[in-house]
Amino acid sequence: MTSRVPAFKVRATARVADRAMHLALWLIALTFVAVLIGFVGGILKEGWSELNLGFLTRMPEALDAGGGIKPELFNSLYLVALSLALAMPIGLGAGIYMAEYAGQGRALRFFRLCVETLAATPSIVLALFGMILLVQMLGWSFSIRSGAVTLALLNIPVITRVTEESLRGVPRELLEASYGLGATKLQTILKVALPYAATGILTGVVLTAGRAFGESAILVFTAGTNVSQHFPDFRLSVPGETLSVHLWYVTSDGTLPDATQIAAGTAAVMILVLLALNLLVRLLDRAIRRRTR
Amino acid sequence: MAEPMPDLPETTLDAPLLPDGLARIATQGTPCPTPVFRQSHLHRLADRWTHLLFLACTLLVVLLIGGILYFLAARGAGAFFPLAGNTDKVVTFREVFLSTNWDPGDGHFGIVPFIAGTLAVTGLALLVAAPTGVLTGVFIAKVAPPWMRNVMRQVMDLLVGIPSVVYGIFGLTIILPMVGHAWLADAPAAGFAVSAAILAVMIVPTVVSLSTDAFESLPSSLDEGSQALGSTRWQAIWRVLIPAARPRLLTATVLGLGRAIGEAMAVQMVIGNNPQWMLLMRQATDQTPVLRFLFTPAATLTTELVQELPNTASGSTWNNVLFAMGLLLYLMTMLLILATRRLGRQEHA
Amino acid sequence: MLSPQTPETKPVKLSVRNLDFRYGEKKVLDGLSMDIHAERVTAIIGPSGCGKSTFLKCFNRIHEVSSAVQVSGQMAMDGVDIYRGGIDQVDLRRRVGMVFQKPNPFPKSIYENVAFGPRLFGVRDRATLDGLVEDALRKSALWDEVKDRLKESATGMSGGQQQRLCIARALAVNPEVLLMDEPCSALDPIATAKIEDLIGELKENLTIVIVTHNMQQAARVSDYTAFFWLGKLIEMDLTERIFTTPRERMTEDYITGRFG
Repeated sequence: MTSRVPAFKVRATARVADRAMHLALWLIALTFVAVLIGFVGGILKEGWSELNLGFLTRMPEALDAGGGIKPELFNSLYLVALSLALAMPIGLGAGIYMAEYAGQGRALRFFRLCVETLAATPSIVLALFGMILLVQMLGWSFSIRSGAVTLALLNIPVITRVTEESLRGVPRELLEASYGLGATKLQTILKVALPYAATGILTGVVLTAGRAFGESAILVFTAGTNVSQHFPDFRLSVPGETLSVHLWYVTSDGTLPDATQIAAGTAAVMILVLLALNLLVRLLDRAIRRRTR
Repeated sequence: MAEPMPDLPETTLDAPLLPDGLARIATQGTPCPTPVFRQSHLHRLADRWTHLLFLACTLLVVLLIGGILYFLAARGAGAFFPLAGNTDKVVTFREVFLSTNWDPGDGHFGIVPFIAGTLAVTGLALLVAAPTGVLTGVFIAKVAPPWMRNVMRQVMDLLVGIPSVVYGIFGLTIILPMVGHAWLADAPAAGFAVSAAILAVMIVPTVVSLSTDAFESLPSSLDEGSQALGSTRWQAIWRVLIPAARPRLLTATVLGLGRAIGEAMAVQMVIGNNPQWMLLMRQATDQTPVLRFLFTPAATLTTELVQELPNTASGSTWNNVLFAMGLLLYLMTMLLILATRRLGRQEHA
Repeated sequence: MLSPQTPETKPVKLSVRNLDFRYGEKKVLDGLSMDIHAERVTAIIGPSGCGKSTFLKCFNRIHEVSSAVQVSGQMAMDGVDIYRGGIDQVDLRRRVGMVFQKPNPFPKSIYENVAFGPRLFGVRDRATLDGLVEDALRKSALWDEVKDRLKESATGMSGGQQQRLCIARALAVNPEVLLMDEPCSALDPIATAKIEDLIGELKENLTIVIVTHNMQQAARVSDYTAFFWLGKLIEMDLTERIFTTPRERMTEDYITGRFG
């Protein structure tokens, strides 16, 4: 049997392409690293001189220079907490249902489609919805409560998804052990599955908090661009401008003489908060990995 | 491997198989005081009914999708039909969806400039983000050493966590002046180019993380099979891995597109907010068409909503048209989600 | 099959001297030396975890694709050390083909799977490709089964067909050596028999090294057999001698099923 197959040679072009693409992949990756460093560095550099206790603890000014961000910082944290408090039970409930009760059929696929759709809904669209329903129809006007409820809509799908995924990651043997002892399904979910999934869910919640903290489009149209004159003001009916909204508002409004500096300082504060949250996520992640190892 | 069983003491059938000490007690006739456990009535009831509570949470999500659609449609429809609560004149679909003339003060509500603006800016962003995102995915999954893999994961986590207003302020205060200084004789550089660049950085983490997953889920036997035939690593990636991961890579791109279309604040801060950009582009002659396109202040569906919604009276035609634009945006993202479903099915087929 | 009475006429194709293989801290192969003759089938047997698959993968350096490994000692093909600096791994793998434990056809058509290799090396002409594909499929005894459905997806074939397709895919680039890593472990007896017949035909102009956990298979298909244990080569000889009069006690114990 003679072979008709020629003796192949690896082509020079293939070798060159391989080298070139190897280099290109590294370059692209390093570009993103550089973009991030340039970005975070740039924001921190611009805002560094503004970062002092006075800036964090003064009330904002409407027309003059020298305003602080005390109420905005408070509102940001307050709104994140409220929106999470609203979204957590719903997201957990929906996540539990989808992971443990919805089966594998059509219903589950439909619910997943809905969660995905809500997660992909642009925040400006959620803002419009909140504005029509809460601000106008219910007459809540631009307020903390309008903002918190609308912001919760942003959080719900994320928490639902992370709950479902975390619950699906619970080892089957663990659940079977619980059922084997005669526990009901509810007991098994609450006492075995949820505690096991808790770290994963918590990671998702912290990520959600970060997203809610940075959200602005929703809050411009629901929580407004003003702050209460009292501090701290826990009332739900007062307007609640957050850091991110403040950042946007001072730059686009343009009445403050030191708008640029205030924006730079606010951006730096936001970046620092988010870096801290990121660190928290990393710690949680490490906790999860240690357990699964 | 199972441990070898230790030798058991001889037991008769009716003697309970218990550890030594207990067995003796049991055979001596002292009954073991083990109570009979039963689930309390309360637990059984709770077990039977709580799933309805969980179901209610799920149905709320479904309801929200419908609710958003309903309210946006109800308000958007006011622009075209004389509905209750509509205080202003109505316009035709033709005037809105086919006209490039946006001059609300004069009664012209053509939203083509915004649709075109959205398509242009997201298209440009995707042109950058899709290839670089997929290649970064390959890099993380198949090329990078473990330490670099971790670095890239963290970089992407941080990039996705940066709020859009912070991207916006960065573009506004650092990039716009820089680009204007470099290419436009210090004229402002607002427009599609800078907006798309920022948008690209914002959506790249989505594309990267989903394409990394796509490449990691491919069996390593494909990679090895190709290289065992004498392919270079790049040939294996280009001819085997990318085609094999194609449906999921497309899904990653579509989801990135969805994020780009919906992004409002960052784009609004750097695009220049000029609804008449199409007109301006046609009239201006001072630059090449490409430069003009990239650096003419423009507007998109989202930026116009952010810009104008606070300034319009509820119930006016202008306001209603803005809600119709919001509805359009919502329908576009829904369509994209349905597209990812299609792609998912294609993968399993 | 080669018998102890006839002298070896074929030249040495692959020679291994004092090969050590480390994976991180772990030493997987320890001081291996052997010669593999051209156009013979050499079987490598031993209990799982003895390093036989790792050894096979040293011949085309495929393990370097996915992990960092350390190899020391010598491994030569036609007298040239394949671990010497300046050796092109890609070209090496073109010359040393491999069939994996689990069939791994690409998610492409049957035709495209076989044409994949030639295309890599710049063959674009349709007629040439058609010829190469048919040739490779005939050599792997698959042509008659698939000639009418070359455009269909390879992933829809049976496991045995997939494995023969992978053999055809490897043959299409005209390798000098074919490495087979337990090629039948995922197949039923009928498919296994077909592959074994194929091995007998292919050795006419190929050097074949096959790792197998199945001693009957080694006895059926190979001219030489090497017995590995814990990363060491215990004994290598003509297959007939290994299975009738092994020198080492350990080899005899393993072959007669006393351990492993």
